[in-house]
Amino acid sequence: MAKGSEGLHMEKMNLVPNERVCDLADGRLPDAECVQAFDALLSDQQAMQTWHAYHVIGDVLRSSELAPSGGDLAFLERLERRLADEPARPVVAQSVREPVNANLHSANASVFRWKMLSGLAGIALIGVVGLSLWTQTSRQGDAQIAMPGNVVPPAPTTVVAADTAVGPMLRDQRLDELMAAHRQLGGHSALQVPAGFLRNATYEGAAR
Amino acid sequence: MRASLMGVLLVVCGLAAQGNAFAQSVGAETPLNAWLLRVHQASRHSVYTGTFVVSSSAGMASARIWHVCDGTQQLERVESLSGVPRAIFRHNDQVVTFFPQSKLAVAEVRESLGLFPDLLKSSDSSIGDYYQLKTLGNERIAGFESEVFLLQPKDMMRFGYRVWSEKKTGLIIQLQTLDLKGKVLEQSAFSELQLGAVVNVAKLTRSGNTDGYRVVRPDLQKTTADAQGWTLQKPVDGFKPMGCYQRPPVVPPQGGQGSAQNTMQWVFSDGVATVSLFAEAFDGRRHAREGSAATGGATHTLMRRLDNWWVTVVGEVPFETLSAFALALERKK
Repeated sequence: MAKGSEGLHMEKMNLVPNERVCDLADGRLPDAECVQAFDALLSDQQAMQTWHAYHVIGDVLRSSELAPSGGDLAFLERLERRLADEPARPVVAQSVREPVNANLHSANASVFRWKMLSGLAGIALIGVVGLSLWTQTSRQGDAQIAMPGNVVPPAPTTVVAADTAVGPMLRDQRLDELMAAHRQLGGHSALQVPAGFLRNATYEGAAR
Repeated sequence: MRASLMGVLLVVCGLAAQGNAFAQSVGAETPLNAWLLRVHQASRHSVYTGTFVVSSSAGMASARIWHVCDGTQQLERVESLSGVPRAIFRHNDQVVTFFPQSKLAVAEVRESLGLFPDLLKSSDSSIGDYYQLKTLGNERIAGFESEVFLLQPKDMMRFGYRVWSEKKTGLIIQLQTLDLKGKVLEQSAFSELQLGAVVNVAKLTRSGNTDGYRVVRPDLQKTTADAQGWTLQKPVDGFKPMGCYQRPPVVPPQGGQGSAQNTMQWVFSDGVATVSLFAEAFDGRRHAREGSAATGGATHTLMRRLDNWWVTVVGEVPFETLSAFALALERKK
């Protein structure tokens, strides 16, 4: 970015022919020539505008929604100038005892609302599958269960590893297992029922 | 399973009864404890079905819930709609997790589920020393009018919670965990809820049948930190030990040489947040990354080597609290 903005102010003009810009934009230049071509491009204001125009043309051909607003580069230049002129604001150290924001909503609360909404469509679909699973399970017998009597002796492992949407983020199977163990035994909360248990139950497959 | 619960095929729970239960149970409790009791009682006296969604920056998971009760007996089925297909069947503190693909059922007892509300009623409850309750207003959630509360920590050692509680019953229908700056770390909510729904209890009960499944019980033994050779040189503010367990080693000793150490899980709670302290023998092949790891939700983790031991702290608390636990843990001489 810094290099690009310097390039905008360079006085050298017309160093790069339009055909070469076109080849560069279309990926037709050999790799060995690309670095040199980009250096030349960044030093040539007109070539930069041509480069930008070619990309805008490509975008518009792909979708009319990507149509340009005029003077993008001029806007960028003005923005960079204004940002550079912006006085630095002093950073106020936060009080260590600062209480949690008591507003009804957090700044990022809307993200969670959208997440939930986006899941509903999937839930509706998966619900059909779930219903069939529920039906299959319930057909398996009429015997009542308080707790199973036909229990096999202790299993060699406490948790069975499996992938979920949550697990991979950690990329550490042992940590996944310990987190599952924490969810299993760590529900000592006044908010445990129903929210805590349901939260853990919903996440629980992470390391089973 | 109580006969009265089993005998009833269709149950419609009277919501009016819940208000009475609350009035009788709260007594002269502090406002915070009274409120905690109310939301707790609401879950014990409500019949509901719904879709529960847990979301955080790590992703989203959802489950379908069926819940029935008669005040003392709780029957619940949680069916995952995301991740590994599984169904969790709960009868009070007894929990069976079914994995239909592998035909495996994990049966276990969740002692923590039986702790409340007795703990709230006892003088031992110190939740009010570390949290305060604020009313934030009203909002409509999942089709229900709800009151919004902020369970605000009094120090920086724990997170805050924004709670949406259904107005008539007190049932929690949405819960947000907030970091120290008030940013939402994780949200658990009913996206759809039917309070007082008609639930087929016989069918719900049958869904806990383990026929055709291989049933396993986690090899978990109760112990004490003292017996395991561990102590906390300094308590962490507000957190009390809730139990200590030992789990079998992950990697058994090769060729019968030496004896592998069990993993200790020592559980602490301040009444709202829970921390697990794990200690296991250090293994250079597996234990390479000291420090904290992001999970993307409310649960945070911290790992630290302590001589020949590897300590992992997991909890829905800030890193500073995990760090306080990790630094306080000491091997008894």
